[in-house]
Amino acid sequence: MIWLYLHFPHLLLDHIRRAREDSGALVIVDGSGQTVLQACPEARELGVQVGMRLKTAITLAPELAIVQADDQQQARILEGQARWLYRYAAHVVPRPPNGLLAEVGSLQRLYGGLPAVWQTVEQALDEHQLTAWSGLGHTPLAARLIARTGKGECNADRDHILRTLGQLPLQVAEFDERTCTRLQRLGLDRLQQVFDLPPAELARRLSPETLARVQKILGSRPDPQPDWQPPHQFRQQADFAREIEQTQGLLFPLQRILSDLEDDLCWRQQETDTLFLTLQHRHEEPTRLRIRTSGPEHRAEAFLNLIRLRLERHPLRAPVLSLQLSVKRFLGREAPTERDLLGETQDLNEAWHTLMSRLQARLGESALSQLAPQADHRPERAWSAASLARKHQPTETTGLPRRPLWLLQGPQPLTSPPQAWFAGPERISGGWWDGQRVLRDYYIAQLDSGQLAWVFRDTQGGWYIHGWFG
Amino acid sequence: MERPGYAELTCVSNFSFLTGASHPHELAERAAGLGYRALAITDACSVAGIPRAWAALKDSPVQLITGSHFELDDAPPEACIPRFVLLARTRRGYGQLCQLITTGRRRAEKGQYQLFFRDIETHTLDDCLCLWNPPAPAEASADQALACGEWLLRLFEHRLWLAATRTLESGEEQKLSRIRWLADQLRCPITATGDVHMHSRERQPLQDVLTALHHHTTVEHAGHCLFQNAERYLRPLPVIQRLFPDAWLEQSLKIADQCTFEPGSLRYEYPPDLVPEGETPAGYLKRLTREGERRRYPGGTPLTVQALIRKELELISEMEYEHYFLTIHDIVAFARNRGILCQGRGSAANSAVCYCLGITEVNPARVELLFERFISKDRNEPPDIDVDFEHERREEVIQYIYQRYSRERAALAATVIRYRPRSAIRDVGKALGFDPAQVEQLLEGIDWRDKSTNWRQQILDKRLTRNPRVADQFFTLVNTLLGFPRHLSQHVGGFVISAGPLAELVPVENAAMADRTVIQWDKDDLESLGLMKVDVLALGMLSAIRKALALISERKGEPFRMQDIPEEDPATYAMLQTGDSIGVFQVESRAQINMLPRLKPETYYDLVIEVAIVRPGPIQGDMVHPYLRRKHGLEPVSYPNDAIRKVLERTLGVPIFQEQVIKLAMVAAGFSAGEADQLRRAMAAWKSHGDLTPFREKLISGMLERGHDADFAERLYQQICGFGGYGFPESHAASFALLVYVSAWIKRHHPAAFYCALLNSQPMGFYSPSQLVQDAKRHQVSVLPMDVNHSQWDHTLEGPDQHLRLGLRLVQGLSSAGAQRLCEQRPAGGYRSAGELRKLAGLNQRDMEMLAGANAMPAFATNRHQAYWQLLDHEQPTELFAAEAPEDYQPDHCEQLPEPSEGQNVLADYASLGLSLQRHPLALLREQGHLKFCHTAEELKSTRAGVPVQIAGLVTGRQRPGSASGVTFVTLEDETGNVNVVVWLETARRQRKPLLTARLLHVKGVLEREGDIVHVMAGKLSDLSHLIQKLPVSSRDFH
Repeated sequence: MIWLYLHFPHLLLDHIRRAREDSGALVIVDGSGQTVLQACPEARELGVQVGMRLKTAITLAPELAIVQADDQQQARILEGQARWLYRYAAHVVPRPPNGLLAEVGSLQRLYGGLPAVWQTVEQALDEHQLTAWSGLGHTPLAARLIARTGKGECNADRDHILRTLGQLPLQVAEFDERTCTRLQRLGLDRLQQVFDLPPAELARRLSPETLARVQKILGSRPDPQPDWQPPHQFRQQADFAREIEQTQGLLFPLQRILSDLEDDLCWRQQETDTLFLTLQHRHEEPTRLRIRTSGPEHRAEAFLNLIRLRLERHPLRAPVLSLQLSVKRFLGREAPTERDLLGETQDLNEAWHTLMSRLQARLGESALSQLAPQADHRPERAWSAASLARKHQPTETTGLPRRPLWLLQGPQPLTSPPQAWFAGPERISGGWWDGQRVLRDYYIAQLDSGQLAWVFRDTQGGWYIHGWFG
Repeated sequence: MERPGYAELTCVSNFSFLTGASHPHELAERAAGLGYRALAITDACSVAGIPRAWAALKDSPVQLITGSHFELDDAPPEACIPRFVLLARTRRGYGQLCQLITTGRRRAEKGQYQLFFRDIETHTLDDCLCLWNPPAPAEASADQALACGEWLLRLFEHRLWLAATRTLESGEEQKLSRIRWLADQLRCPITATGDVHMHSRERQPLQDVLTALHHHTTVEHAGHCLFQNAERYLRPLPVIQRLFPDAWLEQSLKIADQCTFEPGSLRYEYPPDLVPEGETPAGYLKRLTREGERRRYPGGTPLTVQALIRKELELISEMEYEHYFLTIHDIVAFARNRGILCQGRGSAANSAVCYCLGITEVNPARVELLFERFISKDRNEPPDIDVDFEHERREEVIQYIYQRYSRERAALAATVIRYRPRSAIRDVGKALGFDPAQVEQLLEGIDWRDKSTNWRQQILDKRLTRNPRVADQFFTLVNTLLGFPRHLSQHVGGFVISAGPLAELVPVENAAMADRTVIQWDKDDLESLGLMKVDVLALGMLSAIRKALALISERKGEPFRMQDIPEEDPATYAMLQTGDSIGVFQVESRAQINMLPRLKPETYYDLVIEVAIVRPGPIQGDMVHPYLRRKHGLEPVSYPNDAIRKVLERTLGVPIFQEQVIKLAMVAAGFSAGEADQLRRAMAAWKSHGDLTPFREKLISGMLERGHDADFAERLYQQICGFGGYGFPESHAASFALLVYVSAWIKRHHPAAFYCALLNSQPMGFYSPSQLVQDAKRHQVSVLPMDVNHSQWDHTLEGPDQHLRLGLRLVQGLSSAGAQRLCEQRPAGGYRSAGELRKLAGLNQRDMEMLAGANAMPAFATNRHQAYWQLLDHEQPTELFAAEAPEDYQPDHCEQLPEPSEGQNVLADYASLGLSLQRHPLALLREQGHLKFCHTAEELKSTRAGVPVQIAGLVTGRQRPGSASGVTFVTLEDETGNVNVVVWLETARRQRKPLLTARLLHVKGVLEREGDIVHVMAGKLSDLSHLIQKLPVSSRDFH
């Protein structure tokens, strides 16, 4: 067997860079935001190094764009890569966080020799705009170690591989930290020196696991690999180091994702009629768009046109941090479509959802909303019409102040003095934080007309009606 | 008809953390401005804000009432949770209040409080008044409210009021009618109150920010947690009179009239335990002093000292400070009995009495220091004595104090932790909903020293917000929040000791450290109330000195004490004059090493100046050069008049010390004693929140009027600013200078003992063990490697030649228990094999590996690789071990293992010990040809000034002193010593990367020299760190 290992030294970085049109210094930092994990060439040019403290990096590159590493996100990206590699090799194993292993020995005949396999993979990597270091080995570990040190060559000769392995520094062999320290304390720094130690002594003085690992590298002990199947749905994400403010900016990364989707659908021999596009914002709730085609579809261009139309109709609510495209509904190429659309299910909830989505599709997403109380002292902010899709945080509804049921769209000037005063003043002052500052004294008063009104006086001394009591 | 006045009885300050939005003094000043009759400060279970409010109201007609707000954790049967304010009626009531606060605070975690209704029932509170804030109808039913009122009425009969507020919020009418109903039911009067949270309406945004932070949310999402409006401020009287009926206002005045307690009446009650029965404090102090005199002057006290003692004792007894001196004497006597070295400093510490009592070693016969200067008779200001103890043993002293006076009577003073720029930006950012990661990025990007930074622009640039109005608000909020207290922490060592229970003087609460309690006031509060504290501080150098003296005694075969060190030894001063001061107390920093050859100290008093002159005060006041010129006779010494001569004579007419600057403000600018005192306080507080500009005008015009030139006046003002927060008084310098002299003398005459003691007292001082060992070797101390058959835990001196043997304490990761067994079980002939070592000393694998890594087994392993191989044999040695013959200890040798190279050994030494006795890494690199054309530190000493040079070295320090306008100083270490590199701002900007990140730095530059002091002015910097791989180099950066 011959194993191919692909090591993605900066997967997350590539992933973000390929969704960007501009170039500028960019780094990936660890979860706590302290240390630089990956740095793009522009950042390295300015002296930013991997392992450096973020603090130092910022002093070197004040304009640095910073993205926090996210294991889940990285795992998702890696899965995406496993998915396309799966088209070339039957046995693919994702090695989180940043590697893929594939058995390629059996492919030689299919592609006409190892060099052809090698070239096919390299080309695919290029298309995906990903940096990967490839390595070949007669064992999975050999391929991995060689790939991770960037020493990979298209050469599957066993002796050649063993020679290459022997030259590798000890640190890259991925012994556990304790073993590594111990081997170093013995003065060893190349793998060959470890291979040369008497196996029995190695097991006795270091650990049986150390010996096992050495044997797995060399191939004298089996190293079975699990089987992996691609999941039955499509999901891809593009993350931006700097928020995108224009619709146009979203189309560029979407193009690549949609072409991946087309590849995926073709390979599956399936089509879809529904795309889910989620746009994440910094402060606001995410925008969720459901894009439906008129019938089953698989062409990237068709999807892109639909999305473009949709985005042009609904300008962005807020700058976008990341976008996610997912497909959950796969339709057989030949399958009749009409039957599926109605969703012949007895579930009422499902029926309600179907109704809502149809209404929304007919009237537009923004035409439907529901009422909800909002915790804000300012009367005009105390209610909100929220979109249906949004999940509500329950607002405290007890002890709410006395308010008219009918609140006017906007305050209207009070033209003649009221007949009688019933309550007040109630002073409301707030909203300095969002530029909608309010400073008013409210009263309940009976007007000439006999109506019970909610009136207020502002700082300029003007009087207004703000609502009616029943 | 004239309307009644008003007393505000419920008002929280910013000592109710994340609740109140004004400083106590702001509230006090505003209340005075509005003509209130009285103001109560009623923080949440706290009286921490009282001293500051009191200081502001001391000279005003507004009466300050002490109180506190409480919300209980449970409710009496069938009642709602009580919320009320207690006001202290008398001194006794104040004690009751403090006691209750202490109970609530001691029970809860740091910063919290917890009180139950049973506490209110069981505590004596009969001298406190209670203002009940009943629940609104929406919060509790009428029955619950009434039950709560009845419960309170039982406890506070005739002392209970219903507190009514008019904050104009929704539901207010319902609440007021509830209050009227309750008043009727309970037959209890209603008083007007404001529920004040800020002194002025303008603070509403900040108050909202604090509320959001309190609820861990943003202002935008805080919703109903925020107050509905900005009415909780100190309102003008006409507004109050419009809102409240006269009867309610009159009640507020009636309550104020009842509260006669005044914080100024608090008096320190000294612990009487120290004076033996039948003696008066004065008589006892006199007797102790007399006994000390006989000890200090066995040949008879010199007449001048006798006169001094008499005068001092008179002054002490006139001021009634005997107890204070006796307390300190008691602590110092305990330390002396335990053999703990200590040294007092500060005003009053360097008096003849303190010398006789053993509080200080500064001999009044030797230095002319006038006690009177340190105790001011005019101002009723308590004397201040700080006592430094050996840092490793201070805990013993603290435990002694707790045991001597009990925890009920002794506690640490608090330190108020306040908002600094970083924390203020962080918190305001959080409340405004900025992205925390971006706020951090902003903080990192700000050059805090660069005053021209346009913050607003930076915020907009970083897109924290796109709303310029929010950016403006952000700065206003940050600036207002600066200086706000955040929480109480423990003072480094200031103890307050009282005669009765301390909790009746001031509330006590928990500190973060287990078993530590702090009072609610900090040292400024204590000072403003005239209460005394005793500072018990830790000083590493005292540990080192004691250890060195022990080593010297051992060698001499007789006790050698600090007072046995000969005075004014010329050889010691000669050493210091060359800047050879690594390890010497206080004068070992880069700046001090450069100053020594310029100042050329020849006497003890020169050392006093040396200690004080390299400080921001004299540097910013540009007083250093004039002093040096005068000292070396390059400039005539002159005085504008005799008054000034008296102040400045000791320092050749140039003000150096804080005391001199203050005194000058009096004699040269006409400050009154009181004004000078204010100036001193403002200087002390300047760093955090004080403002010195009010004094500038007065100082400069005062000096000009008296015929001084404007330049001198301006410089004096600058010096005052420089002293701010870093004030260094002569009284402290005098004590420190003594330790400078003692440590320098030991270094000069007993270098082996000196380095050995320093290494055994680590961590302390400026330098790492590696740097100290290198310096030791340069002083002809021979250093022997670590060896399991010779080393002890501590470093030791071996043989008549005093070789310094490295101790096991250097081995990183070695357990001290294992090391102890290793030393105890060591056979007479030493260990013979790794197996025997493991067996006899009972060492675990980890300890064994640490020892092998340290190459500490030269007796039975040819090198560290082989030693390690032997250890990795996991099988236990056989039981028959003891019966085995020595041949059986033949270690198993592994042929496949390589010999360690010299480089590998050096790396491994550094990794395990933090230092290496092999050649310096730089020597190896030089040999390998990596450092062609580079001068060594030694070679630079004989290089001409102005010559272009190249140097390379390990970066051991980077500094950018605030007083040196953007210059970065880098210290490089090579095999011959240290080189100082000066990097100008422009050079640094262009080469940030090597400057900030290199561990091994190569510098092309120009040599500059001033006498013996050599610098390299940096041109091109290159990072050579790749040559030293993982060598751990520790650099002290930007301290």
